[in-house]
Amino acid sequence: MKFLAVCGFGVGSSMILKMTLEKVCRERNLDCEVENTDISSARGMNVDAVFTSQELADELKGSMKCPVFPIKRYMDKEEVGKALDEFLKNK
Amino acid sequence: MLKELLQKSHMQQREKVDSWEDAIKIASIPLLKEGIIEESYIENMIKSVNKNGPYIVLMDYFALPHAKAGEGVNRLGMSLLTLNHPVDLKGNPVKVFLVLAAVDATSHIEALADISKLLMDPKNYEIFMSGDLDKINDIL
Repeated sequence: MKFLAVCGFGVGSSMILKMTLEKVCRERNLDCEVENTDISSARGMNVDAVFTSQELADELKGSMKCPVFPIKRYMDKEEVGKALDEFLKNK
Repeated sequence: MLKELLQKSHMQQREKVDSWEDAIKIASIPLLKEGIIEESYIENMIKSVNKNGPYIVLMDYFALPHAKAGEGVNRLGMSLLTLNHPVDLKGNPVKVFLVLAAVDATSHIEALADISKLLMDPKNYEIFMSGDLDKINDIL
């Protein structure tokens, strides 16, 4: 599975979100690849799901074919885990 | 890596500040003084929150202000401001501001991994929230 962690610049917050995602994937024994990037590069990328902030999720939704999950706290394992579980349930 | 970037001289503790914009400006002073960043980087960090939302609040009470790598940044750097009283950042109370100034997409990854690992441990998170700079320095 391939996930995308997105923030405004693709260097700081999205990197943290990528680390949190990788951690929750490991905890679920899920084989996944996570990339992080900025909002303009994210558009149209071919991935299974996108995780980003509420504001950027609203902007991205129209230009992605996959589900986009808004995350409030990029470092919160519980919140990111919940979003991931929701994705897995609806897959 | 984190310890080398976040030197003691880059850490400040304050009772309170008037706004989150002030918090970012104050937190950035050590980096500005050493020529690690330019004024424009501080403006870019504030603009980013206004444009992209408050996602720099990575955990409750903890924010990582940053902007585009290499724009107004001369060298990789980090600085810290802890507040005894939280300030509102667009609906999120924040007590700890960790400014990140990155030069490219990769050279700071190790430091971010260190921070992420540190803060996910509740004991270390509490030490950051206490604002005690000596104790914070000890756990880096």
